[in-house]
Amino acid sequence: MSVTPSRVPVTVLTGFLGSGKTTLLNRILSEKHGKRIAVIENEFGEVGVDHQLVIGAEEELFETNNGCICCTVRGDLIRILGQLMKRRDKFDYIIIETTGMADPGPVAQTFFLDDELKNQFSLDAIVTMVDAKHFLQHVDTLNEPAEQVAFADLVLLNKTDLVDPATLARIEARIRGINGTAKIHRTRNADVAIDQVLNVGAFDLQRALTVDGSFLEPEYPFEWGGVYTLAAGDYLLKTGGEHDHSSHEHDLHHHEHGHEHDHHGHDHAGHAHDDLGIVVLPLAAATPAALDSAVEPAVRTFAEVSMEVACHGALARIPGHYEIDVSHEGADFKLTIAEAGAYALFCEHHPDEFALRLEGVVPVAERRFASHHHEDDISSIGISDPRPLDPVKLNHWLDYLLKARGQDIFRMKGVLNVKGEDRRQVFHGVHMMFDAQPERPWGSAVRMNSLVFIGRGLDRAELEAGFESAVAK
Amino acid sequence: MAAKQSLSFALEPRATVDLDDYVIDCAWGRDGTSIAIAGGEGKVALAQVQKDSLALDVIGAHLMGTLNVAWQPRADVFATSGQDSAIALWDGKAGKEIRRWKPAPTPTQSLGFSPTGEILASAAGKVVTLWSASGEKLHAFAPAATSAVALTFDRPGTDLGVALNGEIAVHRVENSRYETRRYKWPAAALTVNFSGNGRYLASGMADGSLHFWNRSTAKDSQMRGYDGRLELVGWSDNSRYLASSAGNEVVLWDFGGKGPEGTRPIVLNGHTERVDSFAWQPGGDHLASAGRDWRLTLWRPAKAKQPIDVQMLDSEISVVRWSPDGKRLAAGEKKGRITLFDLVAR
Repeated sequence: MSVTPSRVPVTVLTGFLGSGKTTLLNRILSEKHGKRIAVIENEFGEVGVDHQLVIGAEEELFETNNGCICCTVRGDLIRILGQLMKRRDKFDYIIIETTGMADPGPVAQTFFLDDELKNQFSLDAIVTMVDAKHFLQHVDTLNEPAEQVAFADLVLLNKTDLVDPATLARIEARIRGINGTAKIHRTRNADVAIDQVLNVGAFDLQRALTVDGSFLEPEYPFEWGGVYTLAAGDYLLKTGGEHDHSSHEHDLHHHEHGHEHDHHGHDHAGHAHDDLGIVVLPLAAATPAALDSAVEPAVRTFAEVSMEVACHGALARIPGHYEIDVSHEGADFKLTIAEAGAYALFCEHHPDEFALRLEGVVPVAERRFASHHHEDDISSIGISDPRPLDPVKLNHWLDYLLKARGQDIFRMKGVLNVKGEDRRQVFHGVHMMFDAQPERPWGSAVRMNSLVFIGRGLDRAELEAGFESAVAK
Repeated sequence: MAAKQSLSFALEPRATVDLDDYVIDCAWGRDGTSIAIAGGEGKVALAQVQKDSLALDVIGAHLMGTLNVAWQPRADVFATSGQDSAIALWDGKAGKEIRRWKPAPTPTQSLGFSPTGEILASAAGKVVTLWSASGEKLHAFAPAATSAVALTFDRPGTDLGVALNGEIAVHRVENSRYETRRYKWPAAALTVNFSGNGRYLASGMADGSLHFWNRSTAKDSQMRGYDGRLELVGWSDNSRYLASSAGNEVVLWDFGGKGPEGTRPIVLNGHTERVDSFAWQPGGDHLASAGRDWRLTLWRPAKAKQPIDVQMLDSEISVVRWSPDGKRLAAGEKKGRITLFDLVAR
């Protein structure tokens, strides 16, 4: 496929009900930016600004002819885009707004359907708005919020003024756990500079893939570790205490919507985080280096049988592996330190998700680890490996992977070091529809494969074994 | 020589006129003295056709784009639909808007008159509605499961075919009976084409297949191998050939003898870019095709697989339409030019 400079960039704007999509659209359309923007939206009559084109669409899904049930595109969109191209006063930009309950997959996949579409439009980015006020309530009970985050290249964390900083940190940690590559911008009232939302270039194969390093690491049984200097005595490990009654009414409304659309009947109890695995270890010193050296012992301790600790219970033994009950907000656990010194705490999930902290002390050093997740949960997995790949074996692997797991893999992107090829091979995909092409030469840069998969129930071992099978011998 | 004589037709340009808009479609008036033109940015224009001239008047608009234009048979009225969700009726003699209404919040994707001109059918989103020639609602069909992409009446006007995702719905409209037959195929139908002899119903599909059903037995036959979505399908006037194109070639299926099953199609090679429009000559056997290579190409497939004439126009050609008598042809371009040709013996 050749890259035509005149391609019209397209942003897919998604986000759960009430997250602020319409506010953002109104803002974009009314701002003086000199761009002619066409908006395609499913809900009528909410947005309307003179001289900007707002087109109503009836969400009409159909499967492509490759026999894969996850290859679904939007028929209405194909027609509307075709119609838009019949204007000589071309639009500079197209924004497609999905409904709050929509899966952004089919919209994004539409742009991979054929050369005709690929030559005329360039999918710029999938932007997902997240309602900070309600995200944590929704993400554990409904499929859509996590899926929308999983598809995102850019997450606009909106309504940040309605929650406290600790909750924001929890939300960001949760978003990171789902999608390790998306950029996150915090906004209030959808107030964000237009150039931060449009022309992001997330699907631009000519741009180097930027990947957050932390999730390219091997997977640890913990997401966070910190080291503290502690005097002898009793300490309380506490979870967040704020309890938001005002939001419950809205919540009910959203739940009703959710059940109607919850086709998967998915049980999310698995990641409601009732119990949190933690490990406490003594350390030689309260330094980052000492924390790094404690990683291996921490992995071993996590492998030991855990002690369950109820709310207000005691963490009696050090070193020790505990499952603490964090199902209630404001829970606390007593940690007794017999001997003053340096101690490390490792947590299965990021403590920000629970506003978990050791009362009265702050960590001297801390470190994040590759996201840990449960079976069936949505997460990102990265593979980073310098060994050159065999193009034929690579094709076999990707072919197999997409056929077998295409439905679960929402997004896939990568830069590949292919044997005998001087240029970087880059690819980008949505479910099993993807686009790949050679990019600029490696030159003197270190040749390195970087792959990222975002999806449901991804198995790192399976992905790594597949990658291994594609390494050139 | 006799063989050569049969090929001796060509197109001769007679007049051009420029519409300051992308020519989406055009429709000839019943007596061939006017052409209604739909512009992609919204213009609605009327061209008066003389022997060697075209006089163009922009007579109105659809905000944000005109989608369809259809001339009412046996009358001097034409209808348009637009991105503004409106349908408008126009006086094709006086060049004046008669009536405008919004049948649905979604734009009317397809529009067509019955052969007698008594019924105007429109498809907006999932709803197909029948209107009287003056725009009074006659009947609205129950919403379909998916959007209606195209609709057309059969030649007697007894049935209305609607292209949907997964089926063609054929509504009996004769005597207001409104029974529906469904011809199913699990892909999005993009066109609906009744053969003039009434035997077949054909449809181009989004999965790159061409289907035709024998209307009396409902037997489905399909042709595969098109390069992507098949959006151009058309029967020759005598129902002998079914033309189709999803790329640079025009593929013809011959329904003479036992029909096309098991046969190879006639492939018309002459375009170097995608074909965006073709039209069979009314009352004749010429086929005009045109598209992105700026070439207006004339074929007579019953006689030759090579073009019998090629005219190079001024930009990409979006639409070709024969006059009702089959003696003249209008070609519209993406840059807005409309050119009038005569079919002449060489």
